[in-house]
Amino acid sequence: MHKQCGSFLFTSYLSGLELGAMKSSIQQVVVVGGGTAGWLSACLVAARRPDLSVTLVEAPNIPTIGVGEGTWPTMRETLATIGISETEFLSECDASFKQGSRFDGWVDGSAGDSYLHPFSPPPASDMRDLLAAWQAGGSGTPFAAAMSPQHAACAHHLAPRQRSMPDYAAALNYGYHLDAGKFAALLARHATARLGVTHLAGEVVGIVTAQDGDIAALELKDKSSVSGDLFIDCSGQAAILIDKHCKVDWVDRSGVSFNNRALAVQVPVDSDTPIAAQTIGTAHKAGWLWDIALPTRRGIGCVYASEFLSDSEAEVILRDYVRTKVSSLAADKLNIRQLSFKTGHRAKFWERNCLAIGLSAGFIEPLEASAIVLIELSLKALTDNFPTRRDVMDIHAARFNELFRYRWDRIVDFLKLHYVLSRRDEPYWRAQRAPETIPESLKQQLLLWADQPPSSWDLPRVDEMFSPASQQYVLYGMRPANTPGAKQPTSAALARLADVREKARLIATALPTNRAYFTAAQSQNQNKVAQGDTI
Amino acid sequence: MSSHQILDPAHHADLRIHTSASARFGDNIMGCLTTPGEFRDVQANYPIVFRRDITSRKFSPLALFGFENGENLFLQGERWDARYRPLSQTIQPFLIGRAAAGSDIAQVHIDTDSPRISTTGEGMRVFDVAGKPTPYLEAVASQLAELDEGYRQTPEFCATLERLELLEPFSLEVPLKDGSRNSLVGYHIIAEERLSTLDGASLGELQDRGYLLPIFMAVASLSNFSDLVARKNAMLTLV
Repeated sequence: MHKQCGSFLFTSYLSGLELGAMKSSIQQVVVVGGGTAGWLSACLVAARRPDLSVTLVEAPNIPTIGVGEGTWPTMRETLATIGISETEFLSECDASFKQGSRFDGWVDGSAGDSYLHPFSPPPASDMRDLLAAWQAGGSGTPFAAAMSPQHAACAHHLAPRQRSMPDYAAALNYGYHLDAGKFAALLARHATARLGVTHLAGEVVGIVTAQDGDIAALELKDKSSVSGDLFIDCSGQAAILIDKHCKVDWVDRSGVSFNNRALAVQVPVDSDTPIAAQTIGTAHKAGWLWDIALPTRRGIGCVYASEFLSDSEAEVILRDYVRTKVSSLAADKLNIRQLSFKTGHRAKFWERNCLAIGLSAGFIEPLEASAIVLIELSLKALTDNFPTRRDVMDIHAARFNELFRYRWDRIVDFLKLHYVLSRRDEPYWRAQRAPETIPESLKQQLLLWADQPPSSWDLPRVDEMFSPASQQYVLYGMRPANTPGAKQPTSAALARLADVREKARLIATALPTNRAYFTAAQSQNQNKVAQGDTI
Repeated sequence: MSSHQILDPAHHADLRIHTSASARFGDNIMGCLTTPGEFRDVQANYPIVFRRDITSRKFSPLALFGFENGENLFLQGERWDARYRPLSQTIQPFLIGRAAAGSDIAQVHIDTDSPRISTTGEGMRVFDVAGKPTPYLEAVASQLAELDEGYRQTPEFCATLERLELLEPFSLEVPLKDGSRNSLVGYHIIAEERLSTLDGASLGELQDRGYLLPIFMAVASLSNFSDLVARKNAMLTLV
């Protein structure tokens, strides 16, 4: 399709060449796609590089996928950077606080099989000493409960902050659960009204290539064209630039990560029910269910591998979950959306002057909510090192490709860790533990972790996606007895764990429940509106 | 008329208290009671003066926050701009109760009409989910005990000051930036001249009773009037 670009467009590109010396400088950024990735890209580039002209091209009537509804704590800095207040964000996106992920039924599926991966790390102390002090407790305290006061906050559905605290300040580290459709709409309003982003509604029907092979311009259905110096492909699974135009290879990771289907529903909840403080992932016989609590609804989905589970079996599992965890009334009224996906990523994310961000770059099941954080990390890498000249862009691209290949490898390994530590016996779970499906790098880590706890020696890079603390929470959450080199607890480590217990008491004293927080925030907003304050 | 109840986990299981400062919680006051035991902390922030009760004719010490009724110059929206708040403030809405009239057994009571009692689910929990006191209630209980002890000692302390003629009336004329004058009358302060000429026997008595330190703290506290004036002037600038 891109080869059929008309002479009209070529002419318009030539007129761009007349700018002469300007040609080598990067001034116009064009984002393709108006989902979470597209609008986050537009906002972050415009906010961090106000000297650039940013245009977002969005095809009308393309539904957003809208299941990327969990963020990492990084989102707080992202929102602050683009200049959206937390109060506005929370109320506009029907958002709630996320303090981590809880995994139910992953070890053996027995009653009480549950562990937490909280966002707040263990005490800053040698993990071998902390493990010894934890084991000396001997009372069966879960690892996360011993290591972080966040465990207590999550157990009681508490908010991670008080409303009187400044925006984005935390008593406990947190990200968000949000309504992805409303989030994209808020970002779009913010980008166009406050950050000077140009929004074009139009379907991309052709791509104009420059003589050097770069993308020169996009041809839209109405025959207009959009020229640019850097193109960010946020077109989702369509991947119209990075795949259809640039023909960058796809690296399939489904041999490690089997799941390829999801059934998603949204279940309204009463305004007096507790709002869970973490994402809940519940294992089933051939996959798992997500459960994401917002103030007005829960997003619930059943992830599975079609090789091991039929769609109708998955639907039964989903309905059963809603019936037990929400209500049978809700289970009878589900509007189920089916999604199918390929697990993998591009061999390169940045090719010439085209950078893929979001689903166009890759996809993996949302077990640890890696989708939105990858968008943020991609944009941090781009805007921290934004090429002002074309001749340095390839250097940045090569670095970016190396870094994000590394990050994808770490995501694949970390998600696999959740499966290989399981003792569940169904065929799906046994297949997940088959040695030939486990990446060599993860096998090595597992061998090392039988001898020493996960540490920054294992994950030495800046901005590692999954810190040693994350690995520890999963490893010792699933295998509490797997503590290498048991030794006498030091008094210092015992004191650290006593600090955690005392902090947990303080936190349970001072923090409101999520429900109380959002109810109070909502009534304050209504008062403001009543008093004629405008946002 | 406030109503007091004894605090207990059965009736107050989910009780939460707003501990932040705010006029809506009744913090717009020009001063509060203090006791000699906390003079060291109080004098780091506030002037300490003595007020004579009209009917009992007895003195009690006050920490001052402003120059007129309802004026708290330390209150900035929802923030109390000082490192230390006097105990009689921080323990609210709790108070010391007695098991029976004249009893020595102190109990934690609560003023059930206080605006500090939260109805929104925000604020500090008093009892945890198991019905045990939270760290907040533990802290309040120890502050109440300290305050109770302070209230018991205060009459004797003030009576001694009065007997040794160590209290003198004072008035303060405060010229403000906008040309107006604020005056503060009706309070007593430590009579510094009298203190400096006190005979050895009297000094010995004050020393024995542990009163010397709080007396000098009260003297030192008066330099906070200049801070209070500065705060008042800053408020005028804001208006």
